[in-house]
This record gives sequence, C-alpha cells and structure tokens, in this order.
Amino acid sequence: MPKHIVSGLKYLTAVELIRDGYNQKEVAKILEMDRSTVSHYLNGRNLSWNSIEVAEIITKFCPRDFLTLTFALLNDSEKTRIIVKTCSKKEFHATVEDSCIGCGLCADTCLMNAIVLDDLKAHIDSEWCCGCLMCGDVCPTNSIKISEEKNGC
Amino acid sequence: MVANTKEVKAKDMCVKRSSPEEKRELSFKDEICVGCGICEQICPVEAIELGDIGAIVRTGAEVPKISIDENKCVLCGMCSVGCPADALEFKLDDISIKEMDEYPSLIKSAEIDDDTCIYCKACETACPREAITIARSLPDRSKLVTGEIEIDKNTCISCGVCEEMCPADAIVMEHHEPTSVDPTVSSDIYVDKDKCVYCLICRKSCPVDAIKAVCRSCSYGDYDLKPEDSEIEGSSFIDDESCINCGWCKEICPVDAAEVKKPFKGELSIDQDKCTTCGACVDICPCDVLSFPKPAESGQIPEKVFKDERFCIYCGACGKVCPVEAIDVKRTDVNYTPTKSKSWKNKMESLKS
Repeated sequence: MPKHIVSGLKYLTAVELIRDGYNQKEVAKILEMDRSTVSHYLNGRNLSWNSIEVAEIITKFCPRDFLTLTFALLNDSEKTRIIVKTCSKKEFHATVEDSCIGCGLCADTCLMNAIVLDDLKAHIDSEWCCGCLMCGDVCPTNSIKISEEKNGC
Repeated sequence: MVANTKEVKAKDMCVKRSSPEEKRELSFKDEICVGCGICEQICPVEAIELGDIGAIVRTGAEVPKISIDENKCVLCGMCSVGCPADALEFKLDDISIKEMDEYPSLIKSAEIDDDTCIYCKACETACPREAITIARSLPDRSKLVTGEIEIDKNTCISCGVCEEMCPADAIVMEHHEPTSVDPTVSSDIYVDKDKCVYCLICRKSCPVDAIKAVCRSCSYGDYDLKPEDSEIEGSSFIDDESCINCGWCKEICPVDAAEVKKPFKGELSIDQDKCTTCGACVDICPCDVLSFPKPAESGQIPEKVFKDERFCIYCGACGKVCPVEAIDVKRTDVNYTPTKSKSWKNKMESLKS
C-alpha cells in the first residue's frame, strides 16, 4: 500500500513538472525513475486511480503532515523535497529575526533543506519553505516567523 | 527529530549533535574550569548550571563544577566563547570556533619575549596556574673565575682540613686505611678546577701551608673573563590550556618581558564588615588575587581579606562562592573580536554588570 501511494505522489509530481515545462527525460532524472515508467505514469498506466486519489488528498493535508507523511513513505529526503515543493500549492514567506543565535537546530530539523547559517544567523529560502513550521518549534529564541503568502488564487 | 547525545568521562563531558550537513560538539574539561559561572550566565537556554563550587573546590568532591543538560542545550557555542579559562570548547565539524572569524572570541593572551627574558624564573614561581616553564642553561662556573691553585703533596699531611672547609667541594682526598705496607691515610689529593672558585679558604686553613693559591678575579677579572661566558641561555613556555591571563608574570617580571591581555576590566569590592573569613574566595580564586593578610605589628587588626586587583580577571568566581555576599565583582569592559550577529554581540555585552 505505501508503495502505491508513493507512485501516486510521483505521478502528481510528474504531471506538475511536465506542466512546468520539463520534458519526460528531465522528469525521469529528477524523480530517479525510468523514462518509460514516467511515460506509463503520464499515460495513466501501471497506476490505480485510487492511489492517485489518496496521493491528492495527502497533498492537501496541512504542510507539516504532507511533508512528514511523504518523508515517512519515501525515506528519501531529496525526493521528498521535490515532491513537496512541486505539489504544494501554498507559498510561504520566512523571516529570521536578529535574536537568532545561530544554533542551527532549525537547519538540522528542516526536511526541505531550506535553511543555511551565515554569520551566526539562519537564512530561510522562502522558495523551498513548505510551511511545516518545524523550524519555529525547535528555535530556542523564537526568532523564526513564517507567513502564508496570499497570491489571490 | 534531531537529538543531542552526551558522553561523560569522569568529571569531563561532551554534548554532540550530528546532521548530514554538520556536526556540533561541546566539550567541557573540569580540570581547567575555574567555577566562575559565566557559562551559566551566557547560556541562552538555561542548559548550564553551576554546581556548589564552594563545596566542590574545598572538599575536592568528585563532581563536575558545572552540569550541562543535553536536552536543553541547543549547541550554539556561546558558553565556550564566554569561558575565560577555555574549559568549554565548541567545535563545528571538528574545527574549533575559536578559529572562525564569524564567531566572536574573548581577546586574551599571555606572552613572554625570549629576547628580553633573563630567565630569572620569577614568573614560573609566581604563576598561580603553574602554566609557565622556564628552561635555562647556566654558564660554567670555572669560566667566571680565574686564578691558580696548587697543593704541595710533599708538605701535605693529609689532615683533610681543606677538603672539609672547601665551600665548593672542589678538593678531593683519596682516603684509605693505613697499613704496615703503606702507613698513610691518603693516597692522593687534588683540586677539581671546574669547581674551584679561588676563595682561598683552603690556603688560609691549611695547618702546614701546603697550598699555594691566588685569585685573579678581582685584579685581572675584567681582562681574563669573557663576557659571553657568563651569558645565561634559555627559553620560556606558557601552557595556553592552563594560563588564565591573570598578569602575575607581567607584574613580577623585573625586565618587562611578559605581556598579558586580559579579557575583562572591572572592579572587585569586598565588604570587610560582612566577611566572615571563611576563605572560600581565597581557595577558588584562579589568579591568587585574594589572601589573608598578617598584621604588620602585634596587636594590630588587619583587614579580613586582602586583594590585589592587578592580578584579577574579573571572572566573578569569588563573588559566586561567597556565602555571605560580601564580594561584588563588576565587569565594566569585555574585550572581544567583532561579530556581525546582533544576538551574539548582545550576549557578549551582557557580561558587563
């Protein structure tokens, strides 16, 4: 069953990537799959519509559940990052206040690898931030502020 | 979830956290810790607690001076930067943050200039942390004196008076038991010229005037003796791990060969009325700033605890250990390298009282 959900998630990601302008070869490389499998996926073969439905529901979970469930299913941080970034419909804006002490707990916690330390301060790449807020939970100085962007859709 | 691990070895400890990107490690060496509690003060998450240092220092109890709660510690490294003794060391991927420019560090150092040093060893003796080693090689004694000495063995009666009197142990008599074959008490007598300083005591004490000796050091010394033969050579070494930058070496050096930079400036005040002369402060002070004075004259009452602030680094350990709050340590200045991080700057500034 988990395998089927993973296939569903990959299908949704592949569809999104194609929509974003990637070709099948590139999608296969990004998702580390055979090109033929990508082709089958996109043509609706080897895949039950049930798993796609379940995967779709998962992408609509709150960001933290979407991220942690995906990571639990794949156990692969790189693919998790891509699937979550591609399938997440929400955008977030992250700021770090000067009270940050540069302990790096947020960076170690962030499954999206969106956080780097520079000059003893965390910097969050809003492009990759999935809004799971786990960084803010571990921050000892409560320095991270993340807000959802209202993009009018 | 990222979690810290903690290793404890006797009174030392090490807290670690690893992620695929980075390894963070905080290690504590109890032997170096002076018990000042700056780490407790600077920790942003209250993970460090100073132990009952008075009891620990005075009883030699087998417990560490501080405790680190690995569940609270976020491995930021601030405690290691504030520690004036370097008992806490923080490493990122096995490299000490002391070597990283983005982290501030206390400006402190102690150096002895070997070109100026005359190797008198005053600093070695005075250093309260036994951090200084002075190695020196002294000149040959024989090259610093000049003279002549000769024992007339025919006149000598082998009484041994000269051997006994010689302050430099330079006269050796080969004693033996007399036999009918050889009815003498000594087979030979000679002067070790490497040891003889031509003081002429042997000549003056010889009961039979068998010794001819003359000292030329006074009359011809300036001509006969080479100045280079009297040079003392050596080298100095300061163990950075033990050195606390207290300034004893600088203050005691007769030739100003030692240079010390202290991390803090401040004021140390002792309320002599409150003081109960328990001596905890004297025992804990890593810099030998405090001592109990003796009265100059009998009947005079001296102050209870004497301080010499020339040696103080304002670490505050004495104030923390005093059970009756008779000691107040104020830090007015903290010397540290610049950092771009506002939170770190604020923390360093917060060490001022």
